[in-house]
Amino acid sequence: MPRPSRSPETTPVVVSCCRTAIGRADRDTGMFRHVRGDELAATVVAAAVARSGVDPATIEDVLVGATQQRAELGGNVARSVGLLAGLPLSTAATSMNRLCGTSLQALAQACHAISAGAENVQVVAGIEHMGHLPMDSDLDIHPRAFAGSSRAVLSMGLTAEHLASSRGVSRRRQEEYALTSHQRATTATATGAFDSEIVPQQGLDEQGVVMLATRDQSIRGDTSLEAMARLKPAFLPKVGSVTAATSAPLSDGAAALLVMSEAEAKRQGLRPLARVLATAVVGLPPAVMGLGPVPASQKALTRAGLSLGDIGLIELNEAFAAQVLACLDEFGIDGEQVNVHGGSLAIGHPLGASGARIATTLLHAMHQQQVSLGLATMCIGMGQGIAVVFEAV
Amino acid sequence: MPEPTTDFTSLTLDYLPDDIAVVRVAVPGHSQNVITATFLRELGQILDHFAAVPPRGLILESGRPGSFFAGADIDRLNRLWELPEPEVADLCDRGRTLFGRLSASPWPSVAVIDGTCLGGGLELALACDLRVATDDPRTSLGAPEVKLGLLPGWGGTVRLPRLIGPGPALEMLITGDAVSGRRAATLGLVDACVPSVAARAAALRLLEQTVANANHTTRRQQQAEAVPLDADEKAFLEATTAALILGRTGGHYPAPLAILKTVLQGCELEAAEAAVGEREAFVQLTRSPVARQLVRVFLLGEQNRRDSGLSGDNQNNLSAPDPSAPDRSDSSKRDCRPAVVGAGIMGAGIVARHLRSALTTTLVDINAAALSRSIPDILAEAAWDRNARASDPQRAVELAGLLRSSTDLAAIAQADLVIESVIERTDLKRQVLSEIESMVAETTVLCTNTSTNPIATLAESLSNASRFCGMHFFNPVRRMKLVEVIRGPATSDATVATVVAHAKRLGKYPVVVQDSPGFLVNRVLTPYLHEAVELLREGIAPDRIDRLSRRFGMPLGPLELYDMVGLDTAFYAGLVMATAFGERIDASPVIPALVKAGWLGRKSGSGFYAYSGSGHDAPITGVNRQLADRLEPYRLPERSLRDEDIIDRLFLPMLLEALLVLDEGIVRESNDVDLAVIHALGFPAFRGGLLAWGDSLGAAQVIERLKRFADLGPRMTPPPSLLDHAATGRPFTTHFLS
Repeated sequence: MPRPSRSPETTPVVVSCCRTAIGRADRDTGMFRHVRGDELAATVVAAAVARSGVDPATIEDVLVGATQQRAELGGNVARSVGLLAGLPLSTAATSMNRLCGTSLQALAQACHAISAGAENVQVVAGIEHMGHLPMDSDLDIHPRAFAGSSRAVLSMGLTAEHLASSRGVSRRRQEEYALTSHQRATTATATGAFDSEIVPQQGLDEQGVVMLATRDQSIRGDTSLEAMARLKPAFLPKVGSVTAATSAPLSDGAAALLVMSEAEAKRQGLRPLARVLATAVVGLPPAVMGLGPVPASQKALTRAGLSLGDIGLIELNEAFAAQVLACLDEFGIDGEQVNVHGGSLAIGHPLGASGARIATTLLHAMHQQQVSLGLATMCIGMGQGIAVVFEAV
Repeated sequence: MPEPTTDFTSLTLDYLPDDIAVVRVAVPGHSQNVITATFLRELGQILDHFAAVPPRGLILESGRPGSFFAGADIDRLNRLWELPEPEVADLCDRGRTLFGRLSASPWPSVAVIDGTCLGGGLELALACDLRVATDDPRTSLGAPEVKLGLLPGWGGTVRLPRLIGPGPALEMLITGDAVSGRRAATLGLVDACVPSVAARAAALRLLEQTVANANHTTRRQQQAEAVPLDADEKAFLEATTAALILGRTGGHYPAPLAILKTVLQGCELEAAEAAVGEREAFVQLTRSPVARQLVRVFLLGEQNRRDSGLSGDNQNNLSAPDPSAPDRSDSSKRDCRPAVVGAGIMGAGIVARHLRSALTTTLVDINAAALSRSIPDILAEAAWDRNARASDPQRAVELAGLLRSSTDLAAIAQADLVIESVIERTDLKRQVLSEIESMVAETTVLCTNTSTNPIATLAESLSNASRFCGMHFFNPVRRMKLVEVIRGPATSDATVATVVAHAKRLGKYPVVVQDSPGFLVNRVLTPYLHEAVELLREGIAPDRIDRLSRRFGMPLGPLELYDMVGLDTAFYAGLVMATAFGERIDASPVIPALVKAGWLGRKSGSGFYAYSGSGHDAPITGVNRQLADRLEPYRLPERSLRDEDIIDRLFLPMLLEALLVLDEGIVRESNDVDLAVIHALGFPAFRGGLLAWGDSLGAAQVIERLKRFADLGPRMTPPPSLLDHAATGRPFTTHFLS
């Protein structure tokens, strides 16, 4: 397929990207239990700006995604984050929400502005503090939104169970997948693959002593199929196949990317990491929300004039092993090039931050492994999918 | 307008200007409207009249304050089992066809729902084109048929999913829980929720808009068609709902699954065809024994509500007027000044229940620390919001105004009813009761919350025992609806009537029992607990015993119950029973041995099961691994028992004990036994209670099954009354007279 040609003035590039280590959302042991969510976001925004060498005065907008925009993440948290990060008062700020796809959406939207000739230099961030702001509190979704469905689609775990049973994904296969995720993340941590993307952030260790958080807290190098097999189903008592081991852990964390046009990067003498070739979002039945990456990726790839076979590395967010496997089956791929450093099952899934987190991990991995084309894609609760296609520069 | 020629007894017809008809329903002989044969006939007649003389629109409203329609006439329901299938089907067809005439009329109709709108009442409202609900707290809309083992049979399973969507409809139909007017508006179940005073005007305006735009034709089209559902959404809805139902019912209740199937199949069909499926499902449910038992259990509760607690002539000789009489309820609530002495778990639960009933209540405990510890728990429980599954902090603050707490017993001086709820030590209880008596007026009624102390013994500490009785609540007070009202030898009828009325004010089912060891509930519970330990000694695994008990339908197995109650408490209660009924229930050596080892159950972290941590909420980790060793000295010859033998071993001695209770006149009537075991022990309602379960076997079969265990001695020996039941064929339960 022919690739659409674009002018450097309207071609978005990512200049820098980074993330915090991902903490467990645990009141007693979570390493960010005493750190506010907006501070986590400010840490990564400041780091993304500082690492890039961009002239801060040129930053026009800050886009922050968070699924729980209240309390410490309320009141247009993006503005607080910009101010906390020391960005100029002239930098604007907006907050957004596409649930789990939130910060990939923020990235997409920044790119759309660049393509449209609107705001150019922008910081994109995602943040979630599930320990401070649980995902199910203060929620009052209109019951008629479920008229043709059921309220149970709000339980992502039940939608994973539905995919497991309707698409024939066995418990054993889910556990083997989760084990691989932990093994890959353990190796990536041990070999320093995450060193370039993780910004140290002060937190607390399990004893309550101050520490610099540089490693993801939920990765378990010692887990095994035997240990996983002992767990009870987490969402469907007795008959279910989805367990805590095959579901992404509740997490706290943040990630940020600096984007601008390719021409602006050149003007400022900055070296981009990647071009953003295409983005796409889709809706689908809420009960199969876990399959969202499939139509979203197909749409984005078509827009980029590519096919899945062209893509060297894929980050497919791991909400549940059952959902990832159902997607891989639909794509007809085995997963070798998917989540090469492990995924959210091991690293953690701070909802609003995960889009920026997987994009960050993908771009660093593309450079480490000299891969040209990459895809980041996610499933989204209540039935959506999102995908972004990158080309290394 | 020409008037219909017929005289109606249950409805009136008026006309507003512009030819809007208003049909107002007030079914005679009922404080709340119920759907009677007369009402249905008259509805048909008025529709005949409208066919001849069509109005521009119809407003259907109730002439009974606080009630649109409370549902079907339960006595009619209770005859369904006797009818042959075609007659039941015909009943469905006739009701549905009648309501269908409303929705097929050339003019639109609106129901004004200011009060309860349940069951058949909801189906009637659904047959109207429009519905206006009020924000009155009494307004509630629901389909409680599932709670009686049935489903709506007059088009409810067809109309509701088409109106509000299959997912929300299934939620309402399967839980049977009613929703408020406000919630109904959010769901789309009603077109508006307005204050009562504005309801008629709102109905009229909506009706005029509908007449003007002919909106009702679009709605009727939607009601007639199949419901489009995505295949994945349908599969997901079916699987998750089925899992929810099985989790909640253990598969013992056929109605929820029948509703699920009927609604989902009905969604794929046009309404007329779906109605056939509904009728078939309804007929099948009336053939299941479960519906019959659930209706019976409902009627047991209704009978209890009407019962003063006294028998026969006594009711006419009351010195005190019956405070439960509805017309006096407001003034009696104002007059009621209850007090509770003792802020332990039971005392706190009892006080919380009082606050929920909006009664200003005094709580006294001489231990200041215990008293202040209990108050947050009391308020949190009293302010519990069932829907939010959390305590409502605002409500807790409001309710705090009703709670007076003190460490000084003098605080109860003004009380007119005092419930003593200190720990189960006879000497302490006697002392406290005597002190209470010295504090209060001569007319104050005194109660003791006890499970093991004879009322007669405690009464000895009082100078006037005629105003004293037992008032035995069950743990947890918030969940267990039964209260045993125990007559002591000197208790007066007036005292019994006052305490019975007070228990009802607390939303409880009071059952009056005679003063006898274990009273009613613990008396029939003990053989079951005792038998579980005997089975253990014979080598049956503890989790197998509990699993089978739960499969029978109990909420907890007997050994789980031991652990929850506390083995020390159970030991003491068992001792009382063994002393009284040692021939059948000997004091098992196992429990004291475990208590001696410090195994007190969940609160100590180990009992028959092991727990991670200790305390009320400690999660179970599995069977206590050291149990086998502990049991070693007490082993009985091993028996190989089938699952059904184990179930018989657990429940037949319970049935025999209940027959003895009846023989001894401990309860006033046999129905009280079933009401009590359901609402105090969680005995499965789908079995209708202990005696109804016995009836399902039949006395002869019970005797036959007991023969297998004859070598176990007197506890498996049929009492004479059982032989008599077998000989005469007389059932254990009493039939309801309708």
